[in-house]
Amino acid sequence: MDKRRYNPDFNQLVKIFRREKADRPVLFEYFMNGELFSHITGLSFEELTDPMDKIRMITRAFYLLGYDYVTIPSRYLTGFSFEAAGHEKKETVSLNEGAVINDRNSFESYNWPVPEEGSYRLLEDVTGILPEGMKVIVPGPGGVLENVIYLVGFESLCFMIFEDEDLAKDIFDAVGARLLRFYEIVSSYDSVGALIVNDDWGFKNQTMLSPDTLRRMVFPWQKKIVEAIHRNGKYAVLHSCGNISDVMDDIIEDMKFDAKHSFEDNIVPVERAYEMWGRRIAIMGGIDMDFLVRSTPDEITMRAGNILRLTDSKGYALGSGNSIPPYVPVENYMAMIYAATR
Amino acid sequence: MNSILERIAACVENGKVNMKSPYPPSMRGQEGADELTAEALKEGLTPTEILDLGLIPGMNAIGLKFSENRAFVPEMLMAAKAMSTAMLHLKPYFASGDIEYKGVIVIGTVSGDLHDIGKNLVGMAMEGAGWRVIDLGVDVSAGRFISAVEENPGCVVGLSALLTTTMLNMESIVRELKERFGMLKILVGGAPLNQEFCTRIGADYYGRSSQGAIAYLNSLQDATGQ
Repeated sequence: MDKRRYNPDFNQLVKIFRREKADRPVLFEYFMNGELFSHITGLSFEELTDPMDKIRMITRAFYLLGYDYVTIPSRYLTGFSFEAAGHEKKETVSLNEGAVINDRNSFESYNWPVPEEGSYRLLEDVTGILPEGMKVIVPGPGGVLENVIYLVGFESLCFMIFEDEDLAKDIFDAVGARLLRFYEIVSSYDSVGALIVNDDWGFKNQTMLSPDTLRRMVFPWQKKIVEAIHRNGKYAVLHSCGNISDVMDDIIEDMKFDAKHSFEDNIVPVERAYEMWGRRIAIMGGIDMDFLVRSTPDEITMRAGNILRLTDSKGYALGSGNSIPPYVPVENYMAMIYAATR
Repeated sequence: MNSILERIAACVENGKVNMKSPYPPSMRGQEGADELTAEALKEGLTPTEILDLGLIPGMNAIGLKFSENRAFVPEMLMAAKAMSTAMLHLKPYFASGDIEYKGVIVIGTVSGDLHDIGKNLVGMAMEGAGWRVIDLGVDVSAGRFISAVEENPGCVVGLSALLTTTMLNMESIVRELKERFGMLKILVGGAPLNQEFCTRIGADYYGRSSQGAIAYLNSLQDATGQ
């Protein structure tokens, strides 16, 4: 694969973030996988060990596939993350395992990472390999709620919120302040065009914590993070899975995210989400993961084409409901983007 | 109804565990499910009365709020904690046969999947509805479900999965269980599931919420006259 039909132009994505009509269909993904990168570039992603080589290959794949940007996971860029105990990993992980903070003592003795000590050099180096017109989009090392759950464990956190609210608040603040600093630093780089705040807030039926708790513990930090991103002239995309309909007004009016990513047919199909919120926030991706995995390529192209017609590429970029992990068949993924690139 | 039973129900519904518990703020300094259950036994109320008229109505009330998005997982967990604390006082009566569970359900997250929050919540709600729950944990193979059913004749099985990929493992587990235990009833649930998938793999019930699953379990009990 060595040709794309149109030149990269990050401004097309900017039009989407501003809920304007793009000049052509625009693609968006949160992240994709090494097997797909290998398939597209003809090189072996797994054999690469140098982060810059990986970034070069990821960038090449995003370019060839027709994107106007490349997402680079923060682990390649910074080395800044919150460390918990080991989580066993299969196809999913438990949100209750690996906790390292369970009381005031363990909170105070935790080895908190220092965002300023991360290495951000690659955000400068990447400028030399970015094709003209492309920018970098950087997700965080997990979000405020995700990292607190990672450190405390979900069920323990639920009890802590009621039984030791001061400690819970202090943990949220310790995580939030460090993530804010991370986003302030990363959004200041010229190579970066937008940032993804990746923080899952919902289960299938409702938010993981009550909207009231989210408003007290989580959202104030997210609001500051979006403000920091906007101060640097960049755009803020919220990637948050689950049913968060009850807090969409907070996301749009209070936190002022530019775009919302992650949709599921079992919760709110993306077509419905666009009708409900598309005039107030850009809608990204949304082709349901289950649909993407289990449908035929023709069915996928048809649905992707339909949503491009429905939205007329005004405030909407085509992509999956979540990401492209290795279990998404390559032909199904290609069938989805074909609707935009044909 | 005896007012102490109403107070026990209120403690469970509101997650008031014991006197020391700071939650909920509106009940701070008051007795919780722990103390009130002990008092009720001392007053001569039977364990069955406490379970049927105090604990289960409390769990039903919070379960209803949860299904209507008026309560959230943390509130459910606090309610389950209050219920479990009260149940410690009743455990000896279950052991002696003075009170009986409505039935036994074996639950687990299917092989390849380590997600446990939904399963745990449903398990707590079922326990709160008077069912004995045997939780096999996560990443459970067909073989482990089969062993558990052999050890608990007449039980029901509940399978959970989080992902499109792991829910596919349900199909072989359901097939193996059904081949071995023809009359066995199997419930399935989890984020990517729907009724169509449930029907296709031959499971008996798909539920979006724990309340629906409990209603189904209770209907089985009614049907068998247990």
